[in-house]
Order: sequence, then C-alpha cells, then structure tokens
Amino acid sequence: MRLKIVRITIFGFFCIIAVNLFYTQIIRGQYYYGLSVDNRIRVIPSEGRRGSILDRYGDVLVGNRLSFNVAVIPQDIKESEFLFDYLSEVLKTEKKELLQRFYQKKITPFAPVVIAEDIDKKIAMELEENRFRFPGLYVQETFRRHYPYHGLGAHVLGYVGKISRSRMEKLEEYGYTPKSIVGYLGVEESYDAFLKGEEGGKQIEVDARGRQRRLLSVKEPQRGQDIQLTIDARIQRLAFDILDDKSGTIIVMDLDTGGILGMVSAPAFDPNVLVSSRYAKEAASIFIDEGAPLLNRAIKGLYPPGSVFKTIVSLAGLVTKKIEPSTTYFCKGSYKLGRRRFRCAHVHGTNDLIGAIARSCNVYFYNVGLLLGPEIMNKYARILGLGRLTHIDLPFEEKGSIPSPLQRKMKSNRGWYDGDTLNFSIGQGDVLVTPIQAVRMMANVARGGKEVQPHLIKAIGGREVIQFSTVKNIHIKKKIFETVQKGLRDVVQSERGTAKILNMDGFEISGKTGTAQTAPGKPSHAWFVGYSTQGKKRIAFCIFIEHGGSSYYAVRMTRNFLKKLREEEII
Amino acid sequence: MHKNLARLIWIFTAFIILIGLIALYSASYHNVRVSNRIFYDQLGCAVSGLLLMFFLSRIDCRKFYDMAYIFYWITIGMLIMVLVTGRHALGAQRWLSIGGFSFQPSELAKFTLILALGRYFSERRPALTFSFVDFKYVLWSDLIVPFSMTLLPMVLIFKQPDLGTALLFFGIFIVMLFVSGLEYHYLIGFFTLCASFGPFAWHILKPYQKDRLLVFLNPNIDPLGAGYTIIQSKIAIGSGKLFGKGWLSGTQNQLNFLPERHTDFIFSVIGEEWGLLGAICLLICYMVLIYCGLKISEQIKDKFGMQVAIGIVAIFTLQVVINVGMVLGLCPVVGLTLPFVSYGRSSYMIFIVMMGFLLSLSRRRTIF
Repeated sequence: MRLKIVRITIFGFFCIIAVNLFYTQIIRGQYYYGLSVDNRIRVIPSEGRRGSILDRYGDVLVGNRLSFNVAVIPQDIKESEFLFDYLSEVLKTEKKELLQRFYQKKITPFAPVVIAEDIDKKIAMELEENRFRFPGLYVQETFRRHYPYHGLGAHVLGYVGKISRSRMEKLEEYGYTPKSIVGYLGVEESYDAFLKGEEGGKQIEVDARGRQRRLLSVKEPQRGQDIQLTIDARIQRLAFDILDDKSGTIIVMDLDTGGILGMVSAPAFDPNVLVSSRYAKEAASIFIDEGAPLLNRAIKGLYPPGSVFKTIVSLAGLVTKKIEPSTTYFCKGSYKLGRRRFRCAHVHGTNDLIGAIARSCNVYFYNVGLLLGPEIMNKYARILGLGRLTHIDLPFEEKGSIPSPLQRKMKSNRGWYDGDTLNFSIGQGDVLVTPIQAVRMMANVARGGKEVQPHLIKAIGGREVIQFSTVKNIHIKKKIFETVQKGLRDVVQSERGTAKILNMDGFEISGKTGTAQTAPGKPSHAWFVGYSTQGKKRIAFCIFIEHGGSSYYAVRMTRNFLKKLREEEII
Repeated sequence: MHKNLARLIWIFTAFIILIGLIALYSASYHNVRVSNRIFYDQLGCAVSGLLLMFFLSRIDCRKFYDMAYIFYWITIGMLIMVLVTGRHALGAQRWLSIGGFSFQPSELAKFTLILALGRYFSERRPALTFSFVDFKYVLWSDLIVPFSMTLLPMVLIFKQPDLGTALLFFGIFIVMLFVSGLEYHYLIGFFTLCASFGPFAWHILKPYQKDRLLVFLNPNIDPLGAGYTIIQSKIAIGSGKLFGKGWLSGTQNQLNFLPERHTDFIFSVIGEEWGLLGAICLLICYMVLIYCGLKISEQIKDKFGMQVAIGIVAIFTLQVVINVGMVLGLCPVVGLTLPFVSYGRSSYMIFIVMMGFLLSLSRRRTIF
C-alpha cells in the first residue's frame, strides 16, 4: 500500500546518495585527495573594463589606463623576511607598513593580498623581472580610471570608487558585489549601469610551483559600454580658463536640442586624485576644502536670481493682462512703501516694459509685482521651470525654491507683507534658483514657449540616444514671448542696455543681467543669462560669478567668452 | 513495540547530535567568517533541545491536534510580519525578532503546516477507507483546499526570498497528499498540472536563483562563484577517502576553501574528516530515525498521527537527501540544512519538536 511505496522511495534516495558517496570518496578518492593536498585549484579573476566617456566629437574625456599592483600569495612565500626587505627597498615604503597591510588584508592562504597599488611602471617591471627569486610575489595588471582633462570636466564627469554600503543594498540585485567599483557624481554615477564592465575569471589547476598546468573553466569578462556626451571639450576648456580663480559656473546649452555643450563649476577638483591611493593626501584635502570643490554649482548651487527674475515678472504681467508693452512707470531712484524706501540702481525716469527690461529698472517691477501679487509670480515662475528640477542626467540636482505666502505660513507661520512682494519681484528675498534652471528658463523664452530638455547624453555604446521627454509647450501666446524677447535683445542692443558691451558685430545676443544681493557685507552675485542666435550654433548660456560684485563682471566675462568661442569657430 | 521505537529514537537522535557537535566544532575552528561562539550556541541548543524533547514526549499528542489550526495561522501571521519588518542578513529577510530572540518563522512553518495538513486530512476521511464520493467535492476538499493551505506559506516564504524551503513545502505536500489516500487519477492529474507549470515558474525566479540552477547543470559556467564552491566541496569530500583525514585535520575546510561549511556544506566537513565510514555512519543514523517514523506511521491507527508522522519523515528525508546531494553536486544549491548538524537554532529546535512529537506518538496505544 501507499506507505510501502513511500518507504521504498526513501530507501531509493538513500541508495543513490550512498552510491554517489562511494564513487566520490573511493573511486575518485585518490584524485580528489591529490587536488586537496597540493591545493591545486586557483581562481584568477579578470576585470571587465569600464566604458570610456567621449565628448561630442569623439575626444576621450575619461578612459582607462594600465596600472600595476604588487600582490603576495601567503601560501607560496618561502622566506618572508627576505621578501619584505626587498619590497621595502624597491617600493620605498617602511617594511612595517607593508607587513601591516599584509596581515590586515589577508583572508585565505591562497588568495593574493594586494600590498601596494598603482606603482610606477619601471618598478613594476623590475619586480616582474626579479619574481623568480621571491616565490609568492606577483605583479597584478589592472585598469585604473584616467581623466586626461583633470579638473576641466570634473563635475560633469564625476569620479569612481568602491561601492558604499547604501548603494550596495539598493543595487545588489543588479549584479553588484561588495568589491564593485561604481561612479560618484557626474555621468560616472548616472550612467554607471552602462559603463560598468562584468568581471570574468578562470579556474586553473597549478603545479607545485604555482604555474598553470590546466585550464578548468573560464568566463570572459565583459567590457562596459562607451558613452558619448553632448559636451564639446573645446568649450569646456575655454570656460574653465575664463573662470580662472573665481567661484561660479558657466553653462552653455544648444538652444535647439537642449544638449549641454559645456558645463564648468569652480572651484573644481582633479578626479585623478580620487581614483588612486597614491594621492590619498590630496584626496583628503578635497573633501575638507572650504570652497566646496565637489559641489556642482551649475545644478546644485542655490542662489537668488536677482534681476534675471524680471523676465518672469514681465511674462506674468503680460499674460494676466495687468500690464501691456506700452505700460509705463516713473522711476526716481527709489520706491516708497510705507515708511521704507526700496531702492533702484539708477534714476531711470519713465520707461515702458521694453525699456525697463533693458535698463533693469527695479521701480518698474516693484509696481508690476504689486499688481500681480506673489501667488501669480510664483505660478509663472514654476511654469517657466524655476523651483522645479530640470531632470538633467546628473545626480544630486537641487530643486530651488520660489516663495509664496501660503508656503511661508506653513513653514514658519509668518505673515507675508508687501515688502516681501517687492523683493520677490526683483528676484531677491526667498527666491533661490540653480544656474541650470536659469538657462532652461531663458531657452524656453527664446524658443517662444517650446520647452527644451537639458541633457548630456548623446550616444550609448555607439547608438544615438533619442530623447523621449515629457517636455511640452508652454501655453503663453507667441506674441507675449516676442515682446519679452525684444526686451532681452534691447538689454544688449540698446544704448541704455545693462549689457551693451555685448553688442558686437556679427553677434546677435539677448539676455538679462542680474546683481543678486546676498548676506550683508558680502559682495553680490553676478549673473548674465542669455542666448545667441547668430552664427554656427544657436546657444543659451549662463555666466555666474559667486560673489562677483556686480553683473558688470559677469557681462564682461561673457563678452570675452563669446569672442573666444567665435575665434575658435564654435559658434 | 513502542518502547523499542522510543528507545531507538532517543539513542540515535543523541548520536546524531553528538556527531553534529563534533563536526561543528571543526567547522568553526579556524573559521574566518564565524567565531567559536556558534559551537557553544549549538551546544546550548543541544542541551535545551534534549530537555524539550523529553517534555514534549510526555504531552498528549491530541493537544497538537487541537491547536493545529491555531498554530498554523499564528505562523502565517509571523511569515507576513517577516516580510514586512524582518531583519536583513545575507541579503534575505528571514528572521523575526521577538523580545531579544531572533528566529526563523519559516522553520516553524514546516511543523505547523504538517500539523494543519494532518488534521485536515484526518478530518476529511477519518478512516483509511475509500468510499465513493462526488468528483467535484473530492477535487475541492481533498486537493484544492489542502494545496491552498500549503501554497499560502509557500508563497510567503518564496518572497523572503527562500527558494529551497518553499520547494520543500511542496515536497511535504506531495508526500502527505499521497498518503492521504486520494485516488490515483487525481494525483496523476495534479502532478501533470504542476509539471506543466514548470516553464512559467522559471520566469518567476530571480536572476541569481536561475543562475544557481544553471550552474548546477554546468558548474563550469561560473568558475568564480557557485561553480567554485561545488568543486571545492567535492574535493573536500572525495579527499576523505575511506577513513578521512581526522578530526580538525580537514585541509580543505581548515584552510577556508569552503565559505559556508558551518551551515549548508557541513556534510563536506564530515566527509573530509571522517571519510566514507563517517559519512555512511551518519546516514545510517538518519535512516534509523526515518525508519522509526515510518514504523510509527504504519502502526498507529489514528489518521492524524499517521499523517504527521509521515510528514516528519518526509521533511527529514528531503532535507538530508537534498543537503547531501548539494554537497556532492547532485542537486542545485538551495540552502537546506542538515538536521541537528548544520548550525541554525530555529532549524535545530524544530527538529527537536518533531522528534518529541514522534516520541509522544509512540506512547499511544496502537489500538483504540
């Protein structure tokens, strides 16, 4: 009956096991014994190379270079004193230090322990030549990340390092191991999944001297995919040189596609320093540097936009029909609200909208701001992309913040006053934007409301990336954009324009200056955000100097920058 | 009869426990991954376990019958809690912490499922007779309902993720279903249905689980990971030959070639250090316990007792066979422990409980 069947089946299973045991231990016993006594199986991992990062013309921005490590296999060492004395002399490191590293990292007797990384090529060759004298010594070949442009594209590119625990927990299912190298910051991080290679290895049987006798099995390592960015290395270099020793950022974006042609943030850092333990000291100093070189000011720096915000106020005023292009206000250098005087940079007299934009008259916009009210200004700021992420393909982008009475009440339970509205209308107070948001806003205006998606990626593994994005059209009448565009053009073209030094032959530049006050006692930030529509390439750009003093310096830098771009026939 | 059986169970359980402790001591001796502490943990389990076994053997097994469904639902609740709040270790959420104690509800679920299925089957057809009943009724109550009872913990465990234990539950169900007396045509139809689910089931598996099955078929495709472990395990066992290398002298194991030797691969420690003789010896001990279980199930007239005894026999067999199979490269690595030998408190104690139950059964009179 059934129990009997169960009994027989169980007995059958055990028989199979017993037979197999007999086979393994008796019939093949000697063979396995041999393998175990001599510990003849070795596993040699081989790295999958990480993909390179190229600029739009194929120039290598990030590549891999051959690097050598010194490793020791504990089991194979015959005379350790002799070995370590020699190594200490050749590597010019204290023997104590080498021994410490050895004991710290040792796991099993047959796994190589790396005791020195990224050694000089000549030293590597010398060690390799002398290996026969020191059983147990191995020179390992690996790849190390190499950034030929050093600090030039540091923020766009990022750097690589060992995976952290938090990343590991999230990514374990995708094949990452605790030894994986992953990207940090920049596109190294956002495209890590494509860039990373897959580890391979081989299982070999070795003889008594550790030489390969037989290949048991092999798994080929996979190379990561190369990615190509929209960045133009020439623009990066020019921008980097022009920023020089100042803090700030320069962004250049293709007006028609949204591709980022150049993005530099200063102060910067050299990623090469972060990928090799040879430069541990310099690496440490980067992290504690007060200037925050790791911060990508283009997407993470939050600054008050100052007069650049007047673009928004103009649009809002026209759309809501609170003002018309011909509306005028009189500026006598200041505006009185209650008992306080809100200042304007100059005495501007009477101006219409275009004139007010060109001359950047605060008083005009104080008036418009009061007409609109903070909620409306908030609404249109957000419609134009301020206070929202641009979803550019870089990690750690900041959203910024646009104030409103409701938000203020919820956050700190304070009231909103007309004075706040005045500050709001000239882009001060609690308004905080990132430079990339400013560029996007300006580009949207230049394109008559057709939104554009800022991005860095051009191709992955040789295949062009087609942008699928959720950008749409902004529902504001074309005529309104045209009016504001005219104002922005007058900033440069008109005699009274605040950026008239940009009115150069052969160029058609529009934009808005901004001098944003920060903390009392500190110099203001300098902005120029604009676009150029004449020449080889149509671009939108932003030149921002942290604590630059006045927008004049940003404008001047813009002029030099654009001239250089024209000289090199880039635009 | 029963006195002899009980004696056999006591002797051989104690013997296995002893072998287990000796093997575990060796496995934790030079281990870089775990400390000696696990040996003392297991020792504590052994002592308290034997005591527990004694107390359980004195309890009337009818009490288990009464509480069967309550235990079942409590365990289900715990399994759900594990998914929601469980502690992460080795990439899996399997442990639950209550008052400083952490344990694996999935181990508990093994026994409570057997109890629940046992009670259910015994209620459906209280006598081992085969009477004519309506097809749909049989299909529902004798097949679908018990399968759902099994499926519930199976799915919860599978999500932890713990493939091995989930499949074990399926195995338990098949055996208990077989023994419950369900007509052959239902059984065949059911198995065919399950077999046809195979390709679909393949897609539910996570990538690393698929890899495990593929590596089992050809260890050479993963020379760095699982393929390496299997080869090392075979070397370890094979090199033990007839008499083994001696306690604490297993070179493969002492030299850290096998990372999981205190849990899944502990049999390779035994194989290497005690040779074929030691390995066969341990297997014989297991066979004796299984034989006792089978004998009890044959002689007991109470269907509940019979079902649970068979369920216990099934678990033991499956775990031993699959674990040793894993170590020999006959089965894919699915993470089932060797009873009383592998390190693991929850698993240990549940097997103690099962032995205690068998002892309790053996005290019953065979004729009502």
